[in-house]
Amino acid sequence: MRIALAHGKEQTLQHLRAPGYLLPTLAMPGLFYFLFEGQDQDVGLVTFLMASYAMWAILGVAFFQFGVGIAEQRATAWERFLRTLPLSAGQRLAGRVLSAALFAAAAATVVVVEAHLINPVHVAADRWLPWLGALGAGGVVVALGGIAIGYWASPRAAIALATLAWLLLAYLGGLWATPGELPSWATEVSRYLPTRLWGEVSWAAVQGQTASLGDWLGLAGWAVGFAVLAGWGYRRDEGASYR
Amino acid sequence: MTDAARGPQAVAELRGIHKRYGQVDALQGVDLELRPGELVALLGPNGAGKTTAVSILLGQRRPDAGTARLFGRDPTLPATRRPVGATLQESGFPDNLTVAEVVDLVRIHYPDPAPTRELLDRFGLAELAGRRAGGLSGGQTRRLAVALAFAGRPRLAVLDEPTTGLDVEARRGLWELLRAFVAEGGSVLLTTHYLEEAQALASRVVVLAGGQVIAQGSVDEITARVGLSRVHLRAPSLPDLPAGTHAESSNGSYTLYTADPDGLIRALALKGVAFTGLRVERASLEEAFLQLTGGGTS
Repeated sequence: MRIALAHGKEQTLQHLRAPGYLLPTLAMPGLFYFLFEGQDQDVGLVTFLMASYAMWAILGVAFFQFGVGIAEQRATAWERFLRTLPLSAGQRLAGRVLSAALFAAAAATVVVVEAHLINPVHVAADRWLPWLGALGAGGVVVALGGIAIGYWASPRAAIALATLAWLLLAYLGGLWATPGELPSWATEVSRYLPTRLWGEVSWAAVQGQTASLGDWLGLAGWAVGFAVLAGWGYRRDEGASYR
Repeated sequence: MTDAARGPQAVAELRGIHKRYGQVDALQGVDLELRPGELVALLGPNGAGKTTAVSILLGQRRPDAGTARLFGRDPTLPATRRPVGATLQESGFPDNLTVAEVVDLVRIHYPDPAPTRELLDRFGLAELAGRRAGGLSGGQTRRLAVALAFAGRPRLAVLDEPTTGLDVEARRGLWELLRAFVAEGGSVLLTTHYLEEAQALASRVVVLAGGQVIAQGSVDEITARVGLSRVHLRAPSLPDLPAGTHAESSNGSYTLYTADPDGLIRALALKGVAFTGLRVERASLEEAFLQLTGGGTS
């Protein structure tokens, strides 16, 4: 635990001291919520969109901190040195997760606080916990997706891949426009995407409804798929030939 | 034979290690054993397989065949590496952490680490404690990498070309530190392609070339075999040469490899060879290995 905490601190300090990389991921969701959704009096809609942008914020941290972070670091001399320490892959990953969870929470908080400041959003007192649970559960799924990107993509490819996936999954998952506003071709694709499934369970939570079991199972399916890809990528990287 | 029957347990051990990268056989049946208190130099030219051997010993890679052991245990298990400190061939640190932060992060992995201050002092890094690790010079980076190997008060230090990139003074300083470490009972496995480094430090030398151990023994034994001189001369023809001399010729110009250049030249003079343009140079280790592995023309 002490070791995982130390690695979490290392990752966090690294990002805080090189904010050029982190700032866009932290600030963009809050900024886009303001620019594109703006002020509205429809309580249902603004609350729905607050939930959407909070997810987009978490998605960005997951893809950039895990995807780009792992891709950039895994081939470095430092990462190779760490493998000579009495340090397990799990402890190192736990450090990464701690740091990412911190930044994801910060990015989502920006959106939530901002939404409360500029719009009449309303989440019933007994819906906060289910909502946070849904946000966290989906956060784990997309974090696994980020880890998969990190171990399969080269450092350069990871930036392109993470950016594209971040934007496309947000749009097609109905996190920017509501799913009802998507063009018909996108509607077809949308219902199978992890962001849409995540959206369904989160929107249900803030609106006081019960999410369908199918949506949860779909999300769990993505989690398993991403986990397998991530684990396979990790093994592949471990056996990669470097000199 | 049981471990007890073989005396003290080996600190580090490679048995029949094979490792292949694609089409390249990096290691072909390498055996290596390190006993407590030994400083073994793994000597070899670039591409000999030294780094691969080290990475397998440290549990970073799995061999295709054979076993690696640290203190009798599997090195791929993190707990096995607790009494071990390592410096890899390439060093790099998180750019935005300070030197002291990097040291502290490494220390936290060990039950009884050396105090940060003392470690930095010992490796001449005290004044750099607050400097960002990304801003260090090549030599400073290397010194930090070696210091980190000693952060956990190891019983075994595995150092892959630790003095590469160090100036003469820093190199001598590190040699002193390693001697003191061994004097206190520590064991060291050191890779190098400098024969002088092996001569200065090692109690035993293992020579690796082309993925195989081609010689091992005391420093003197190995020096006699790989400490070759290269003798250039022009002559109409050469008589039979003393045993152990390898000759290459082109258009009456000869290059002779020998461990005993004085003896060779005396012999040539006694036989009345009318040589001209005599030059005697120290052969590089690469050339010496080529002769040892039969790559040269006899």
